[in-house]
Amino acid sequence: MADIDKNNKNNNIDKNNIDNAIDNNKEEIKIEVKNLNFYYGDYHLLKDINLFFKKNSVCTILGPSGCGKSSFLRTLNRMNDYTEGSKLKGEVLLDGKNIYDKSIDVVELRRNVGMVFQNPNPFPKTVFENVAFGLKIHGIRNKQFIAERVEKCLKYAGLFDEVKDKLHKNAFSLSGGQQQRLCIARAIATNPSVLLMDEPTAYLDPASTATILDLIANFKKFYTIIIVSHNIQQAGRISDYSGFFLNGELIEFSKSGDFFTRPKDKRTENFITNRF
Amino acid sequence: MTEKENNKKTEDLGNYFPINKSYIKRKKIYNRIAYTFAALAFIIGAFPVFHIIYSALIIGYKYLNWNFISTLPSGFPIGAKGGILNAIIGDLYLVVIASCLAVPLGIGSGLYLSLFGKKRTNSIIRLLNELMIGIPSVVWGIMGFYIFSTNAGLGFHFGFSALAAGLTLGFIMTPIVTLLTEQAVNRIPVSYIEGALAMGATKWQATKSVIVKAAMGGIFTAVLLGVLNIIGQTAPLLFTNYYNTGMPTGVTGPGGAVGDLAMLIFIYIHEPSRILHYKAEAASVVLLFFVFALDIGMRLISWVTVKIFEML
Repeated sequence: MADIDKNNKNNNIDKNNIDNAIDNNKEEIKIEVKNLNFYYGDYHLLKDINLFFKKNSVCTILGPSGCGKSSFLRTLNRMNDYTEGSKLKGEVLLDGKNIYDKSIDVVELRRNVGMVFQNPNPFPKTVFENVAFGLKIHGIRNKQFIAERVEKCLKYAGLFDEVKDKLHKNAFSLSGGQQQRLCIARAIATNPSVLLMDEPTAYLDPASTATILDLIANFKKFYTIIIVSHNIQQAGRISDYSGFFLNGELIEFSKSGDFFTRPKDKRTENFITNRF
Repeated sequence: MTEKENNKKTEDLGNYFPINKSYIKRKKIYNRIAYTFAALAFIIGAFPVFHIIYSALIIGYKYLNWNFISTLPSGFPIGAKGGILNAIIGDLYLVVIASCLAVPLGIGSGLYLSLFGKKRTNSIIRLLNELMIGIPSVVWGIMGFYIFSTNAGLGFHFGFSALAAGLTLGFIMTPIVTLLTEQAVNRIPVSYIEGALAMGATKWQATKSVIVKAAMGGIFTAVLLGVLNIIGQTAPLLFTNYYNTGMPTGVTGPGGAVGDLAMLIFIYIHEPSRILHYKAEAASVVLLFFVFALDIGMRLISWVTVKIFEML
């Protein structure tokens, strides 16, 4: 009982935070997470998460290692479906529809919600085929359309000039930063409206990191971007909204300005002043 | 803790490092012992291979010529003249028939195990699969005889024939291909599969266009080891095919039986004829050569395929 009380208390705090921080215009909400609980076996990983992401914004989820932030991100495009022993309660509304509803087509959902992983993970194919893969699996056969789209996506990802002579070489011949931008190009090829990024710059050098952060800032026009990170400086630079996870609970979620200058919760303050 | 205390602690850490000199001496000796043991184990393990090649060559060398592998056995007792063409062609029949069964079945179940199945069912299937690998080949032979050769089992009644033997060998080969395919796919980074799924690929799309390509080398090795295993099988053939000194006229029924190198060696060694004993040794050199050539050939094919798939 004590636990439940504690959770409810936290919930109220969270809701207040959000209400204060975001003007509650329903039309602008892209993803709304309601009472999300996620279990891995007997372990209660995510506890009563409530928050929403607005259209064309960049949101960063912060938190120490093992706090459930990556798992949270993966619930947004149902990548946890394949994790055996996992169980989910609650709702994730994308454009007002629960993505865990039986009528939802997971394939279409993942086309609409792109994902970029922590490690650059290009397929063992050519640069061109890596981007074209996303079009081919959705049944696009028109070669001219594919060629144009691949070029456009590579341009958006700021990679085309660097790889235009290597389009038909193996993707592993690119550098780490280029591979990660290739993965971003691959993710936007399927024309998603949401991009999930799981620590996209964790393994990259500072120059590549800066390039990718610039990309993210530009992408705001087209996509709703949700980034998981444990790099506080980066989050402060690029995000409109920031959330803080600790031990599977959402401690605080608000506009980045408020989040970093006037954190409401003591634990958030400790985290952003590097006390974890 | 103040900064001063902190510094002091670091200093203490730097100065205090008790090195055990006698252990450092001993650990080098341990290293040498381990090295010697490993080398010795390899030499003892590899010795039979070299001994077989050496002794077979010494005895059988005078029969090793083009005539030996290009003509059918003749003379009295049969095989005293002529060569072993029947057995070479027969082996080809058996390997092709067995592979037709075992390659799709084995690769299919290997992919199922590593990608689609649930944990609990998988562990049961894996156990059964390992059990199948452990079944003695003579038992497979009896099973093949009952099911494929006679009309008592499932009513196939293929007689003593290439088809009955090939299918039996196929069932011996399947669990090996399954096991090695699963291992090959499991070696592929999860990130490939996740990357494909996250773009909206179905599991089959991810398997077909990413995983199979990435695991191609390993899958080739799986098939290769399966073939190498069945090419030397004798016991199953005793019950399902036996032996044919001529060419087969079909794959089932009378005239469907084929020659086989392992059976040829087995039969020739049992004949009271010195010439046949020598020829058996020569035939084992040929069998070893085929195994060797197959190994090199498949490795080459796998290497080339992997290179080609990388370009696609």
